[in-house]
Amino acid sequence: MPDHLPPTESATNQRSECLSLLRSMQNADGGWGFHAGGESRVEPTSWAALAISFRNEQEHQDAFRKLSGYLHSKQLADGSWAAAPEMSSGGWVTSLACSALAGDAESDKHLRVGLQWICEDFPRDSSPLQRFMRKLRPKSHISSQNDSYRGWGWTPKTSSWVEPTSFALMVLRAAKVEQLPKNAGERRELAVALLYDRMCPGGGWNCGNPRVYGVDGDALVLPTCWALLALRDAPEKPGRVLSLAWLQKQFAKIESAGSLAVARMTLENYGMQAPPAKRNLQDWSAEALAEDGTHVLAWAYMALNPARSWFSVSQETAVGAAR
Amino acid sequence: MNQRNRQLIPSFSRPASRVMIRKVARYEEELLALIYESLREFQLPVKDKTILLKPNLVGLDPQGVMNTHPAVIAATRESFLKLGAARVIIGDGPAMDRDTQAILESVRLKEFTGKLGKDFCDLNIDDVQRVELETRATRLKELFLPKTVLGVDFLVSMPKLKTHHWAGVTLSLKNMFGIVPGSCYGWPKNVLHWAGIDRSILDINAAARPDFAIVDGILGMEGNGPIQGSPKSAGVLLFGDDPVAVDATACRVMGLLPEKVEYLARAGTMLGHVEASKIQQLGERIEGVKTPFAVLPEFRRLVAG
Repeated sequence: MPDHLPPTESATNQRSECLSLLRSMQNADGGWGFHAGGESRVEPTSWAALAISFRNEQEHQDAFRKLSGYLHSKQLADGSWAAAPEMSSGGWVTSLACSALAGDAESDKHLRVGLQWICEDFPRDSSPLQRFMRKLRPKSHISSQNDSYRGWGWTPKTSSWVEPTSFALMVLRAAKVEQLPKNAGERRELAVALLYDRMCPGGGWNCGNPRVYGVDGDALVLPTCWALLALRDAPEKPGRVLSLAWLQKQFAKIESAGSLAVARMTLENYGMQAPPAKRNLQDWSAEALAEDGTHVLAWAYMALNPARSWFSVSQETAVGAAR
Repeated sequence: MNQRNRQLIPSFSRPASRVMIRKVARYEEELLALIYESLREFQLPVKDKTILLKPNLVGLDPQGVMNTHPAVIAATRESFLKLGAARVIIGDGPAMDRDTQAILESVRLKEFTGKLGKDFCDLNIDDVQRVELETRATRLKELFLPKTVLGVDFLVSMPKLKTHHWAGVTLSLKNMFGIVPGSCYGWPKNVLHWAGIDRSILDINAAARPDFAIVDGILGMEGNGPIQGSPKSAGVLLFGDDPVAVDATACRVMGLLPEKVEYLARAGTMLGHVEASKIQQLGERIEGVKTPFAVLPEFRRLVAG
């Protein structure tokens, strides 16, 4: 993974401040809230896990063990994870929790049931019944999406959207072949097709509305990054090239730390150098990043760290996909 | 949870609501004095209280067309502090884009308010609390809502004056979709669409009960709102102690019939007043500021006359 940041002392210091702050924000139950002292939630815990999991130092391994314990304890009986404490049904954060646990041998059984839930969670908008009912109605002029493609929704029994579909695709890519349910390949194919179908006409993605009432939707940085990361090992298509070009052009205008961090990692994931931008991640202190949320602090730490191995393709999955 | 009044009062036993219309041609005008004077007339119980301003921050908007203008937000915050509020928090949970900071940067909020620190709350990632939905307009039964929203003493909905491609209009009631946290329900909060937008608006407002509404109609949006419509200048700010009455008045300003807006008609039976005879009109008369807004063909039935 290339590191395009200048290897300055200040960059090294900032990385270390981010990590130190991230570590200090871990709650006693092993999880992280969105803010220091906030109630532990699956999403920020998963991003924190992805940020610190590759470090080998004993203290980070201890932190990972605590957070994996938190995630294990929050897994629902059906294998999913809920977005907030007290919520009784799981949702999109299941993919993030599975990503966080993907490289951990002690989490194998949790990961397998989580992946099983993901592969059995079908959105309602593309169910055979909904598609049949849609055929009976006059042709919609609101949007023109191909409803035979199926991704994932934010919550069960709703519609497919770009970001949860991307997160699910990423974890199906990160998991080992033997951990994946039988229909994982089929789900991936449908989801990849869905992402290309939902791409904005000028490249990039928004939440999943490329055209509404005849007007082209504007792409947004974060959904574009997640979709590109999810499509990293999918067959090359002109849409992906167009979207990378959109992101590279957009990069210069990004003004928020979260988008800047994820966009940098996305471009680097494709072997592209991040162009000069209006803002630099080093403009934010670790505390300022944490004000935007634990997820932003974790993304920034990963973006600043040349040693990261984020959403890398599992060798076995890559071999499996090639077969 | 703060014990603000969450009682549902049927329309016939509810006292008249008060709505004030003020003419404001441009955002560059002296908004602080105008907003402060307007709020003072309502004699609101805000001294030493914590206030939450909930603007409509829906997307990247450097032109100031789709979001509540930061000049209005900043002047309102300052006005409540002048009225003796202990703390005024600004909070929203944008529905389509999780990068709230990017939206704030695009509207240059800090240039108007100064550094907010913990006085800005991204409601999408706030700690949440389970709230049982007593109105049961939808089948949802419960929602997990931000603790900040549930904990403040006084909640102000601050929408932009806009038409909406699915709900007809988006004003102070629809604006409350933004309190539903994306971290639980996603971007967009699609579970609300499946539950029915009109019905969800009722459940959310019955659960959170905004105490006051201020509509930014200096520059609004018509047609394919809330994001892709066309700018439409109406030159007004609306204030009111009943969000339903404020929305009904805003519809009348836009040349639309509030009784024909499905969720407003139902809100008029339990959350506030839609009937003009039950709304005490302050400031400008509606006829003097009426600015017909274009709607999509699906909503032609809303057009008055």
